[in-house]
Amino acid sequence: MKQKMIKGTLILLGGTFLVVMLVLPLATVLVYALRQGWETFSKSITDEYAVKALQLTLLTTGITVVVNTVFGIFAAWTITKFRFRGKQTLTTLIDIPFSISPVIAGLVFILVFGRIGWAYPLLEAMNLKIVFAVPGIVLATIFVTFPFVSRELIPLMQAQGNDEEEAAALMGAKGFSIFRRVTFPHIKWALLYGVILCTARSLGEFGAVSVVSGHLRGKTNTLPLHVEILFNEFQLTAAFAVSSILVLIAVIILILRNIVEHRIKREKR
Amino acid sequence: MFPLKKRSRKRQNNIIPGFRLSMGITVTMLSLIVLIPLCSVFLTLSGTTFADFWRVITDKQTVATYRVSLSCAAIAAVVNAVFGILLAWILTRYEFPFRRVLDGLIELPFALPTAVAGISLTTLYSDKGWIGRLFDRIGVKISYTTVGIVIAMIFIGIPFVVRSIQPVLEKLNPQYEEAALVLGASRSRIFFKVVFPEILPATLTGFGLAFARCIGEYGSVVFIAGNIPYKTQITPLIIMNKLEQFNYAAATSIALVMIVFAFVLLFGINLLQARINKIARG
Amino acid sequence: MYVELQNINKKFGGFQAADNVSFSIEQGKLIGLLGPSGSGKTTLLRIIAGLETPDSGTIVIDGQRVNDLPASERGIGFVFQNYALFRYMTVFDNIAFGLEVQKKDRAYIKERVGELIRLIGLEGLEKRRPHQLSGGQKQRVAFARALAPMPHLLLLDEPFAAIDAKVRKELRTWLRETINKVGITSIFVTHDQEEAVEVADEIIITNKGRIEQIGTPVDIYKNPATPFASKFIGESIVVEDYGRFHGFETNEGYATAVLRPEFVHVTKVDKELYPHASERGKVEDIFFRGNVLELRVNVGGEKLIAYRSLEDDPLTVGEEVSVLIYRLYLYNDRQVQLVENASLNNEQTFYI
Repeated sequence: MKQKMIKGTLILLGGTFLVVMLVLPLATVLVYALRQGWETFSKSITDEYAVKALQLTLLTTGITVVVNTVFGIFAAWTITKFRFRGKQTLTTLIDIPFSISPVIAGLVFILVFGRIGWAYPLLEAMNLKIVFAVPGIVLATIFVTFPFVSRELIPLMQAQGNDEEEAAALMGAKGFSIFRRVTFPHIKWALLYGVILCTARSLGEFGAVSVVSGHLRGKTNTLPLHVEILFNEFQLTAAFAVSSILVLIAVIILILRNIVEHRIKREKR
Repeated sequence: MFPLKKRSRKRQNNIIPGFRLSMGITVTMLSLIVLIPLCSVFLTLSGTTFADFWRVITDKQTVATYRVSLSCAAIAAVVNAVFGILLAWILTRYEFPFRRVLDGLIELPFALPTAVAGISLTTLYSDKGWIGRLFDRIGVKISYTTVGIVIAMIFIGIPFVVRSIQPVLEKLNPQYEEAALVLGASRSRIFFKVVFPEILPATLTGFGLAFARCIGEYGSVVFIAGNIPYKTQITPLIIMNKLEQFNYAAATSIALVMIVFAFVLLFGINLLQARINKIARG
Repeated sequence: MYVELQNINKKFGGFQAADNVSFSIEQGKLIGLLGPSGSGKTTLLRIIAGLETPDSGTIVIDGQRVNDLPASERGIGFVFQNYALFRYMTVFDNIAFGLEVQKKDRAYIKERVGELIRLIGLEGLEKRRPHQLSGGQKQRVAFARALAPMPHLLLLDEPFAAIDAKVRKELRTWLRETINKVGITSIFVTHDQEEAVEVADEIIITNKGRIEQIGTPVDIYKNPATPFASKFIGESIVVEDYGRFHGFETNEGYATAVLRPEFVHVTKVDKELYPHASERGKVEDIFFRGNVLELRVNVGGEKLIAYRSLEDDPLTVGEEVSVLIYRLYLYNDRQVQLVENASLNNEQTFYI
C-alpha cells in the first residue's frame, strides 16, 4: 500500500515535470499558431519569406547531413580500424564542437572569412562571399553538428571488433567492398540514428547561424531566424505558425528516433 | 590468452585497407571545419595586448554575465539532476499509461529548434501566458528575469541526466535491490545505499554535460532572458552584443574565456568517466 | 620445408611476443602451436598469416619470402578464434565470399560452395545466418570459408576455444579427419595440451616468446627437451625432495623432479612386489575419471597422483597402500634427465 503510494507520487511528480516543461511549450506553439484561425495560419506559412526560409533551412540541412555523414564514416573507420599515435587526441578534437557555444561557432567563421578575417583578401580577390551569405550558414551548421554521426558509429564499431573485416581482407576484399558488405550491415541503424540527430540539430540551429547570417530576408534567413524576426516584430501568430512547421518536423524526428533506437536495441540482442 | 589477444588486436594491423585515405579525409575535414577556424580565435587575439584582453574579460558588465550564466546553469543542472534521477527511475522501473510517450518525449529539447523553444517558453511564462499568469498573481515574474533563464536552461538540459542514468538503471540487476530487501533494508535505505552509489557517476556525468550545454546555450535562453545588463545578460549574449557593435576583439576575448572554461569542464567530465570506467572494469 | 620462420622477433611495447623464433614445417602436416597464455603462439600465427609484421626475421612459404607480400596474397586460409563469420550473410554467402572477391564465375562458386557444404555436413543450412547455428556448426562454416579459395596453408587460431566441452571432442576428430582428407598443410594454435596431443602430427611448444620443443606428441612426451615441455605435456606433479624415495638419489645438478601419474604404481600392501623399491602411502582421495580411477596418495607429505584400473581390487580412502615409483624426470633450469628407480633394477636382476 505504502509502496503503491510512493510509486504513484513519483510518477505524478515526474509526469507533471515533463508536462510543464515539455508538453505545455509544445501546446503553446500550436494554440498560438491557430488562435487567429486557419486562414491567418496558412497565410503565415505560405508567406514568401517563410517559404524561402524553409527552402534555405532544408538546403543547409541537406548539405550538412551529407558532409557530416561522409566525415562520420571516415572518422569512425580511421579510429576503430587502425592503431596509431594520437588516436585519443583525434577523438577528443572531433568532439570539440559539442563543448563550444553555438555563438562562438559562428564567431570563428567571422574571424576567418569576415571583413577582419585572414582569408578575407583572398575571398575578395575571388569575388566570393561566405560570411553573411549562404556558405557561412552552411559552414556554421556543419561545425555545430560535426561530431553527430561519428559519435554514434565509433562506440558501436569499437564494440564489434575487427575480426570480420580482417577475415574479409585476408580473402582479398578491397576497402570499399569490405565496408559495404561487412561493416555497413552492422552499423546501418546507428548511422541512421546519427543522421536523424544531425538533421534535427541542423534544422533548428539558431545561435551559430544567427551570428553569420546577416538576417537578410529571403536571402540568408533560415526558418529559426525567421521565427526570431517575426517574434521580435510582435507578429506572435505568424511566429508560432512558422514554428509549428518546425514542431511538426521535430515530432516526426522524435518518432523516427524512437523507432530507430528500438531497432538498435533489438539488433543488440 | 586474453592479455596477449587484447594487445595484439590493438596493434596497427596492416591488413584492413584504407588507412591513409580515411585518415587523410578525417584530418583534412576536421582541420578545415573545426581546427583552423577555432585557431583564428588565437590569431585574432594575437593583435591584442594582454592588458586589453584582461580589461575586456574583467569588465564589470562582462563579469556580471559570467555570474548570471554560471549560477543559472548550476541551478538548472541541479534541478535536472534531481528530476533526471526521478524520471530515469520511473521510466525504467515502473509501468504506467503513456510511459513510452513520456520516454520518447525526453529528447524533445534535442529535436525542437531552440528558437521555437525560446519563444514558446517566453510566451508560456510571460505575465499573460498559461503559467506566467498564475505566478503573476502572487507577484512573481518569470519571463525576462533570471528565473526565466533557469527555466529555459532546465528545458535544454533535461535529456542529459535522464539518458546518462537510464542505461545504468536498466543494467542494474533488480536482484541487488531484492537482496537488500530480503536482508530487511527499508525502501529509502535501499535507494540510498544500493541504487544511488551505482547511478552517482552517471548522474555526475549527466550533470556536467547539462551544465556545459546550459552555459553555452543561446537560442532558447535569449528570448526569455530579456538581455538586461548586470541582471539577465548571459555570456553568449554579451558576445553577440559585442559582435553587433563590430567589437570583434572584445567578442573574441570573451569567447576565449568560454572556450577555456568549456575545455576544463569537458576535461573534468572525461576524467570522471575514465575513473568510472576503471571502477566499472574492476 | 613448406613453411619456414627464420629468427622472427616481435615486441609489443615491453612485451616480447616472439624472441628469435625459428622453425620449419613440412608440407601436408598438421601442426599444433601449443603454449600457455601470453606465450606468443597467436602472434606467431598472425605473423605467418600477415596480420602482424615481425620486427625482424624472415617468413618463407613454399620457397618464397613472403614478408612483403600482403596477407591476401599469401595463399592462406585463416580460421579466427571466434570464427569472425560475417553475421549479416548466410552460410552460403560466407563461404562464397572469398570466391566472389576473386571474381570467379557463378556456376563455379555454386559448385565449390556446395562441395564444401557437403564436406562439412551442413546440407540444407545454406540459407541460415550465423546466429542460427550452434558453436560447432559455426566452426565448420568458418573452416569451409577458409578453405573455399583453395589455400595452400590453413591457419587456425584456438579453433576449439569457443565450443563447449561435449562437442569439442567430436569436433577435434572431425577436424583432423577432414584436414587429412583435404590434405592441406595446417597450423593451429591451442593452449590445451590434450587437444594438441590428440589432433596434431607435430607439436611446437612455445613459452615466453620462445620455442621450447618441436616434435611428435609421443616424442615430446617421452623425451621432453626442457623442464617446461616436461611439465606442459601430460599430467604431472613437481617434487623437490625426491632423494628420499627408494631407488632415487639426490643429484646435485637437479633440484627438482617431475613425476607423471604413469610412473606411479599403487598396490594393496599385501600384494606388494618390490618392497625395497616401494614407499608406503595413504590414499587421500579417489576420483572416477570415466575409464580409470585417479588416486591422490600421500607419501611422506608429498601428494602423488596415480592411475588405477577399474579392474583392480578397489581401494578405499584412508587405506594404507604400497606405492612404487618407476621413474622420474629430474630437471634444472636448462636440462631434463630421465632416471629409473635404481632399487627396482637391482631387485629385478637379483631375482632373475
